[in-house]
Amino acid sequence: MSVQARNEPASGNAAEPLVSAEGIVKRYSGVQALKDVSLALLPGEVHALVGENGAGKSTLIKILAGLESPTTGTVMIEGNPVRFAGPHDSQAAGISVISQEFRLVPQMTVAENMFLGHEPRRLGLVDRTASRRMTRDPLRELGLDISPDRRVDSLAVADQQLVEIARALSREFRVLIMDEPTAALTEVEVDKLLTLVERLRETGCAVLYVSHRLPEIFRVADRITVLRDGQKVAQLRTADTSVDELVTLMLGRELEEATESHHSHPPTDSGVAPVLRVEGLRCKNLVEPVDVQVGAGEVLGIAGLVGSGRSELMRALFGVIPATFGRYQVDNKDVKPRSPADAIDSGVFMLTEDRKAEGILPLLSVLENAVVAQRKWGRLLLNRRKDRENYQTLHKRMRIRSADSANLITALSGGNQQKVLLGRALLSECRVLLLNEPTRGVDVGAKVDIYQLVAELAATGVAVVVSSSEAAELVAVADRCVTLYAGRVSGYLQGDAIIESAIVAASLGHSLSKATDRRASS
Amino acid sequence: MTANVVTPDSIDAQRRQAEVLADRVARRSAIVDRTGVLLPFVVIFILAVALVPGFLSGANIRSVLVNASIVAIVGYGMTLAIAIRGLDLSVGAVAALSSVVTAGAINAAGAPLGVLTGLLIGLIVGLVNGLLVAFMRIPAFVATLATMGVARGAALLYSHGSRVTISDTGFRKLATGSVLGIPGPFLLAILFCALTYVLLDRTRFGRHVCAVGGNPAAAREAGLNERRLIVAVFGLSGVAAGVAGVLITSQLGSVDATPIQGLELQAIAIAVLGGTSLAGGSGNLPGTFIGALLLAMISASLNLRNIPGYYQYLALGALLLLALGLDTLRQSLRSRLMAGGTS
Repeated sequence: MSVQARNEPASGNAAEPLVSAEGIVKRYSGVQALKDVSLALLPGEVHALVGENGAGKSTLIKILAGLESPTTGTVMIEGNPVRFAGPHDSQAAGISVISQEFRLVPQMTVAENMFLGHEPRRLGLVDRTASRRMTRDPLRELGLDISPDRRVDSLAVADQQLVEIARALSREFRVLIMDEPTAALTEVEVDKLLTLVERLRETGCAVLYVSHRLPEIFRVADRITVLRDGQKVAQLRTADTSVDELVTLMLGRELEEATESHHSHPPTDSGVAPVLRVEGLRCKNLVEPVDVQVGAGEVLGIAGLVGSGRSELMRALFGVIPATFGRYQVDNKDVKPRSPADAIDSGVFMLTEDRKAEGILPLLSVLENAVVAQRKWGRLLLNRRKDRENYQTLHKRMRIRSADSANLITALSGGNQQKVLLGRALLSECRVLLLNEPTRGVDVGAKVDIYQLVAELAATGVAVVVSSSEAAELVAVADRCVTLYAGRVSGYLQGDAIIESAIVAASLGHSLSKATDRRASS
Repeated sequence: MTANVVTPDSIDAQRRQAEVLADRVARRSAIVDRTGVLLPFVVIFILAVALVPGFLSGANIRSVLVNASIVAIVGYGMTLAIAIRGLDLSVGAVAALSSVVTAGAINAAGAPLGVLTGLLIGLIVGLVNGLLVAFMRIPAFVATLATMGVARGAALLYSHGSRVTISDTGFRKLATGSVLGIPGPFLLAILFCALTYVLLDRTRFGRHVCAVGGNPAAAREAGLNERRLIVAVFGLSGVAAGVAGVLITSQLGSVDATPIQGLELQAIAIAVLGGTSLAGGSGNLPGTFIGALLLAMISASLNLRNIPGYYQYLALGALLLLALGLDTLRQSLRSRLMAGGTS
């Protein structure tokens, strides 16, 4: 147990836990995802699990769901140790999981998905009348009034999420694990869901509620377990704690009072015309239209957790997912990026979140990777000499550590690969650079280099947007910062006000009420 | 931020409105998916009756029905393979192998044993396909391409590249005989269509096949045995090819190792034309049946108008491209319509 551990006083052993995990350790090839974590879910209790990204929440859920087995430690059902060979065992033990990933079959109907794997039968055939009938009630309970015969891929994302929840509820269970169940839902739906969770508690079920959204947790949870870096740092009674304390525990640092710095309006005019001006952006997972403005030489940070709409916002800006814009201007010219190719033509370039899968061309050399995005079709053959010259300049400016530009890019470290990709963006002569998690999987030294490069790139007059789940990163690079929470903008920070705790608090919905109050009063 | 007053309730109301619309769109697109193939079928039928002399003659109708039936039976297996997000390219070669072996076995041991041997060969190659895909994780396309080569080679080897003629005239009644004026193979095709339809749409097995084809991760999480389902589907596809081989032998009476070239392409074409999406997760068996009739009408028309056989290959290729194009169009339309409903 760490020094900071703060645990509730031992309860009077009123009830035996339905499920408990004891001393769970999970190692993935060298990385320790969970270090001696214990958790007990009592009947009639809603237990919240919180922690930053990478704190080990998902791993713990996977172990309870039977998708992973712990390296050491035991899972117990009503006090008896069990070993789950697969998800089926976990389900048979009465654990139902609502997972974050999409786990429905898009081509099949709602009713078929509800009963996949244990379809009701009559005379050897699937009893469709029965499954239709048994589908309606759980859907209604969630306020979802759709035909059980609808194909899942014809439903809106929020409705698909509700179907998934309904499916978990329709199983026989005593323990319900909900992993970010509200990520795609509106407030009304969230409210219905939380009411349902409260009702489940009354029937004696145990609920493990995993969420980034602290207001939801404070509404439904009886106890809260905080994970940080794979360790359990605290287990608290909700009644005895506060948002501030939780955020401090999650971060491992004191929460500085940062409300002063919240702007309720985006600081727009800095005198210069913005390079990127987007108004009224609407896309999947954004509840309200969002405006984005970035000036020449400016770095705008975008913060937000899973389900906040952050990654959708970035992908919409680059034309990857469908979106509508009230206005989309680059250098005061209206553009309409319907695809990444359109966006690049309009001078907008994005480096993706997933460098390995979408960024690098693994079978090409460092040089080719750097110059591939120059879309000037001046001549038929590649101008090798020109390419090399370009690369030489890049090599120096970017401080790429590579002995030979003819080496395969996969021979470089993650950080150096990212530098090559940044160089690619530079050579594409873009006006707007969108960076998605620019230092994911990059070592500390290269991180600093990349932050510096981003600043240098901006200094050449490019407008840079950095989207990141790491608050520290935004503190390091951003001139201004927008935080998203649950599909809407929850705060604006500028200059010295961009501090980690303020970003984290706003991303958790903490400042949401303050921001809206102010807006209402001003 | 813009000062739009967006209350949760108004968002909810908007969404419900969109929901009603989406529901209507979904219903309509489901109808198009299910019955879309009828339109080209009727068009081609009318064109053929109007432009092809002798199209409605008894002999021609009979030959259209018999040819369509053989391809349709292979198509049912292909539909299952596509539903589980695979493809079975070996069906043509398997039908050829089954056909020559059946002929040889009938001559050696009589019709019942001969037929059994033919079906068994289909089952064995099919199971091998399934094992390759399920356990060795070889993509279905490549695995069945390899077994296609093996089966074709084995067929040539067995027949030494020459014809095998069967002496049992009773066996020939299977494909050439009729019940109440309806050709035997056509009855078989309808029977198999109904059976496979029930299997895919109404049994747990069929639903699980679609689940694996639609979202393998979801299927695994629901506790389905993915591997067993894959092996079973390819086994069935092999048996279907075996049935086709037996029918070809019965129809022709004398077979070599190269009957009906490009049977795999035809099977894919009719399945996709019939409304089975190559994306997997669903299968439209009545559609496959209609698709087979459509294809047989086209070839018969070209034959009757004395258009050389080469053009038939061209026509088949074009038809396949058309079917694939329609499939892509259908999917992108669907996703666009649905994205519109999401907002």
